[in-house]
Amino acid sequence: MKLLKDKVAKLSFVALLAASSAAMLYTPTAAAHGEKSQAAFMRMRTIHWFDLNWSKEEVKVNDTMTVTGKFLVFAGWPETVDKPDIAFLNVGIPGPVFIRAGSWIGGQLVPRSVSLELGETYEFKVLLKARRPGDWHVHSMMNVKGGGPIIGPGKWTTITGSMKDFVNPVTTLTGETINLETYNLENTYFWHTLWYAIGLAWLAYWVRKPMFIPRSIAVESGKANTLITNTDRQVGIGFIVGTIALVAMTMVSTNEKYPVTTPLQAGLLRGMKPYEMPARTVTVKVEDATYRVPGRAMQMTLKVTNNGDSAVRLGEFNTASVRFLDPAVLEDTTGYPDDLLAEEGLTVSDNSPLKPGQTRTIQVTASDAAWEVYRLADLIYDPDSRFAGLLFFFDENGKRQMITVDAPLIPVFI
Amino acid sequence: MSASQSAVRSRAEAVKVSRTFDWMILFTLFFVVLGGYHIHYMLTGGDWDFWTDWKDRRLWVTVAPIVSITFPAAVQACLWYRYRLPYGAVVCILGLLLGEWVNRYLNFWGWTYFPVNFVFPSQLIPGAIALDVIMMLGGSMTLTAVAGGMAWGLLFYPGNWPVMAPLHVPVEYNGMMMTLADLQGYHYVRTGTPEYIRMVEKGTLRTFGKDVAPVSAFFSGFVSIIIYFLWHFFGRWFASTAFVDGENV
Repeated sequence: MKLLKDKVAKLSFVALLAASSAAMLYTPTAAAHGEKSQAAFMRMRTIHWFDLNWSKEEVKVNDTMTVTGKFLVFAGWPETVDKPDIAFLNVGIPGPVFIRAGSWIGGQLVPRSVSLELGETYEFKVLLKARRPGDWHVHSMMNVKGGGPIIGPGKWTTITGSMKDFVNPVTTLTGETINLETYNLENTYFWHTLWYAIGLAWLAYWVRKPMFIPRSIAVESGKANTLITNTDRQVGIGFIVGTIALVAMTMVSTNEKYPVTTPLQAGLLRGMKPYEMPARTVTVKVEDATYRVPGRAMQMTLKVTNNGDSAVRLGEFNTASVRFLDPAVLEDTTGYPDDLLAEEGLTVSDNSPLKPGQTRTIQVTASDAAWEVYRLADLIYDPDSRFAGLLFFFDENGKRQMITVDAPLIPVFI
Repeated sequence: MSASQSAVRSRAEAVKVSRTFDWMILFTLFFVVLGGYHIHYMLTGGDWDFWTDWKDRRLWVTVAPIVSITFPAAVQACLWYRYRLPYGAVVCILGLLLGEWVNRYLNFWGWTYFPVNFVFPSQLIPGAIALDVIMMLGGSMTLTAVAGGMAWGLLFYPGNWPVMAPLHVPVEYNGMMMTLADLQGYHYVRTGTPEYIRMVEKGTLRTFGKDVAPVSAFFSGFVSIIIYFLWHFFGRWFASTAFVDGENV
């Protein structure tokens, strides 16, 4: 028995040592924002982000960069998620490593929540000013009330320099230019210190006298009324009169110092201007769609009709911000994040130009490790097993048109 | 030494032990209240106390005093009725504010780099002094609840105004007007706190024009009176001693 106990103790010690060493020696930086954990159907059937562009990959403290692009508010929005009647254009970054110097939807500043329409496409821009040095994953993001954060693609961006140099100048409507990073700080410290000192003084007045045991004995023996003296009462009156007077005087002096103040601003912005996409001349009908689990590939049978006046080819399938490209038709030149780009991930059974007036049934396969890496394959475990995405067709002049697809998905396990 | 003998041998030694006991209890009380009250206030007051762009004229003024009068009422009941010590409210607020400042400085600023001028806590000392002094002068729970609870609600907004007013100065930003506090909330990105979560300037107090803060403060004072009663009884119950007959043990 003793031998067993010794062994358990020894092994426990070794395990503890190994666990502490592992914790101390391997402390990687958190590198993501849980985007892969979000249910696949949320990323595939709510907000479709596309044409994303990060203006810089490296930026100095105080310099700015932009994240621009478009998003389609998917018409087949899932029933289980609240509609984006109240939404907020955000950025997914680890805290205020950048400040959001501006954000626009359809050219309108959106510091407040907005109302979005299903089926519409919007153009957005977020202006970021670098604040804290480091390597940060910068995502576009849309918060939807009742739906949660719907995160878009993220790209690594490096901020160089020192946070001590960061300044945030703002000119108020009263004509004063202030640094919002440190504004009002001394005033805050002063008033909190002063009131804390007043509170401590009240406490100090009482703790200098014997407290718990003698007073408890006095109360128990019916002498409670002798414990508060006239001096105590006078001091108490002094404290309460002084407190009320100080509050009243500082209220008046503050109003004199800041005669112009306004309430916090809040409200919902409606009527966001949608982005006019080129007219659609291609129609697509999804005949069937399967996801082959062992091969990490999604296969669709599409019936495509070209009603335009120029031949078209399928160049891209975009779902949950993962872009599957047919390199014969489209190559990415925008610096889109590698992990979200399957440059040769789109295979089309017959991708020869589809002439005007022609209809063709094609087999389209989107295959890449991204299905697993980004946990999109988990779609087959969702309560409403459907897929959705954007198909981009290109005509002979390179003009692009976007078609949405939304259909049931059948998993194939063998 | 038998169990019936005293642990001290002189009056001087008794005084010394008593004072040591005083400091031990006060130290323990301070940090127990700090922990419990801090969690309570973060869970109930939460964002209204965390961010300047939540500190509005209506809901912050209403919610913060109501949810913060709880522990002061309970601790005051214990310290007053057992010891006639009138510092229950102040010791609670000193504990709470120390905890809040440690949290805001180390977590909000030191860990996630939100500037302190955006995340400082609300000031509650003026109301706490009023509560304690009214309890001491009146010696009555009812008077303290009614006069103290009302003072607690009324003193909150003006007590914080010297710190908040500079942040309510308006600014024109890309064609829209907002306060500096709004701008802080917009600039310093909170990924998990979208703008629509912010509960500010909502309600139906529209007939008072711009003077809604005093009305909100009065309402807050009224509800604080009720909450004071409730938590005062919690404190009385918590501080009671029940002796059990040895034969029934």
